[in-house]
Amino acid sequence: MTDKKEKKIWTRRDVLKASVGVAVASATPMFFMKDAWAEEAIGNYPVKGSTVKFGFNVPQTGAYADEGADELRGYKLAVEHLNNGGGMLETLKPSSLKGNGVLGKKVEYVTGDTQTNPDAARTSARRMIDRDGVIMWSGGSSSATAIAQQYLAQEKGVIFMSALTHSNDTTGKDKRRYGFRYFFNAHMTGKALAPVLSKAYGKDRRAFHLSADYSWGHTQFESMKDFTEKEGWTTVQNIMTPLKSTDFSAFLTAVLNSDADVLVLNHYGKNMVNSLSQAVSFGMRELQKNGKTMEIVIPLYSRLMAQGAGIDNVEGVYGTTSWTWKQKDAGSQVFTNAFTKVHGFPPSQAAHVAYCQTLLYANACEMAGTFYPPAVIKALEDFKFSGTGTGDTLYRGEDHQCMRDILVVQGNSKAKSSGKYDLLNIHATVKADAVAYPVSTFKGELGPYKPA
Amino acid sequence: MVNSIFLQLLTGLQLGALYVLISLGLALIFGTLGVVNFAHGAMFMVAAYLGVVISQAEWGGWGVAIVLVPIILFALGLLMERGLIRFFYARPHTDQILVTFGLAIVLQETFKWYFGANNLPFATPDWGSGIMRLHDYLPFLEGFVAYPKWRLILTAVSLITVAGLFALLQFTTFGLVVRAGMRDSEMLRLLGVNISRRFAIVFALGVGIAGIAGVFGGPVTQVDPGIGMVFLVPSFLVVVIGGMGSLPGAVLASFLIGLAISFTATIPALANIIVYLIAIIILLFRPRGLMGQKGVME
Repeated sequence: MTDKKEKKIWTRRDVLKASVGVAVASATPMFFMKDAWAEEAIGNYPVKGSTVKFGFNVPQTGAYADEGADELRGYKLAVEHLNNGGGMLETLKPSSLKGNGVLGKKVEYVTGDTQTNPDAARTSARRMIDRDGVIMWSGGSSSATAIAQQYLAQEKGVIFMSALTHSNDTTGKDKRRYGFRYFFNAHMTGKALAPVLSKAYGKDRRAFHLSADYSWGHTQFESMKDFTEKEGWTTVQNIMTPLKSTDFSAFLTAVLNSDADVLVLNHYGKNMVNSLSQAVSFGMRELQKNGKTMEIVIPLYSRLMAQGAGIDNVEGVYGTTSWTWKQKDAGSQVFTNAFTKVHGFPPSQAAHVAYCQTLLYANACEMAGTFYPPAVIKALEDFKFSGTGTGDTLYRGEDHQCMRDILVVQGNSKAKSSGKYDLLNIHATVKADAVAYPVSTFKGELGPYKPA
Repeated sequence: MVNSIFLQLLTGLQLGALYVLISLGLALIFGTLGVVNFAHGAMFMVAAYLGVVISQAEWGGWGVAIVLVPIILFALGLLMERGLIRFFYARPHTDQILVTFGLAIVLQETFKWYFGANNLPFATPDWGSGIMRLHDYLPFLEGFVAYPKWRLILTAVSLITVAGLFALLQFTTFGLVVRAGMRDSEMLRLLGVNISRRFAIVFALGVGIAGIAGVFGGPVTQVDPGIGMVFLVPSFLVVVIGGMGSLPGAVLASFLIGLAISFTATIPALANIIVYLIAIIILLFRPRGLMGQKGVME
């Protein structure tokens, strides 16, 4: 027996094994190779089984319940189209969606009730994450609930695709890496609406604001004040009204007693339905102030609200909206047709934003080739797309705010309306470039890709 | 200036009018039976729903609703007193609170289950819609001063109800017995008066007034399952501020609160707490409330 160093010799088998290994490695999708994304478990990733679960957390009670009900219809339709094809899957460009679920897994969903209350929204979202194992959840309305859920998203490492939230804070000071907003915001409303108002009502106007007392109402008032004052208007006063208010008579009396000749209702949902109806019942649309007819403005409009308030009350009233079923582009048409076929009436902007956000998330997963949240976030950031009814749209990477077209609308009249859903006329489509603003306009940091 | 003060006064009165209608029943029940009826808000909610349903029904209409809703609520009150509340007269206050609050929750959830959580639109009748041009009637007003007709009707109905109730208690034998019962029910029993039968009617009367509140207040407050709870706490405060069991006190406190809300509406920080602030100040200086009497509920 002699001691001798064993010499490593490549045998035929070794070469074969090595070449198989190399082949497997090279066939593996690139994302596995990115050393930045060592794919550890985050949130509810990895997804096990042949299905993947989404969560839809909407207000089923409270001031925004009507909007919540329509959001839910939009979500359900999105799941239907993701699993079986159809709808905007045909118009979204670029699209990686195949109509066979997401990454080959069928989409299932759970729903929750935010009660239009941030605490209830968080509790419901936590249940969806911890008990139901959702990989993504979406919902609104109310910016207060959206912001509360964004923070939870960041903490849990589960992506939140917000639906109806219009406060500047959502993608401003409270922006989060795990939160994304397709909807527009109060700043964009002010920028688009103020020039239209000064053209229609003149530059010498005095405005009284009634604003919902939470994040959205505050930023909506600030934005409307800034942009109307740039047009030469004077802000007489603003009253922050509690979200639970149903009787606005005391506030409306203050408006009557002021020298304001424009009433700006920074209200949404039932709040707006009540405040507008009551303002009209107080005779405010017949009133003469400062030698001018008193005007009412609703910065954030929706068809559901117009329906609740009644066509006579909204006739001629200006506002902005995200989307209406009357748009003629291909994306809007396929969505409206599919929705109407199921429900017998057209969708509102609430259903539209809910539908689009679900599709956009699913598409980002397909683009990334994984549900791994940091990779999906990267895929959504700076994603440019079209075919969803909002023109050429950019999911801005720095603040997760979509830069997209918005609509200035005016309440329709009974004589011109084609039916009970034909309540808003498109006054102008304001292009994304015209309402865009620098990221630095608002403070806030997105936070890390991986939750702490 | 005159217009401004007049409008704020009017708004204060119409806000108070609804509180009057709800808290009057509450004070009546508490004053006579000593029962803290936490289901009173729910009775208002039931009445508002009945108002919507009956006023919009093919067989109904607004006239039918105005007559029928208070009668149904009166019957409901009778049923409630005979079937539930009377078993709790001798029980501690906590038991009364638990059973009435429990009933309120059951009613609220039942209505939510049946009608849904969204609010039902409750339109005013044609004869009550639109504005009243007050400057045509009141020469001291300057220029154009208008107010919603329905809110003026609500205020008038509230005042008529108050007058009717006071007349009933002041000028009838029934009222005399009830008033005596409020002072000393034991003595009345010893005198051979069947006070419990009359108290059942008083309870039903209180609930019936909540019926008037529901049918006239519904179009102002909106109709949803939570509306009863919204009015419950302020109405209790009204009863406390007015003096436990004092009917004139409840009326006074209702209008006081309505006026306070109206005059502070432009100062949100104050408007949100004004009701509680008034309660604290009044109870600090008059622990029995505005018109509470010594020896009553003590």
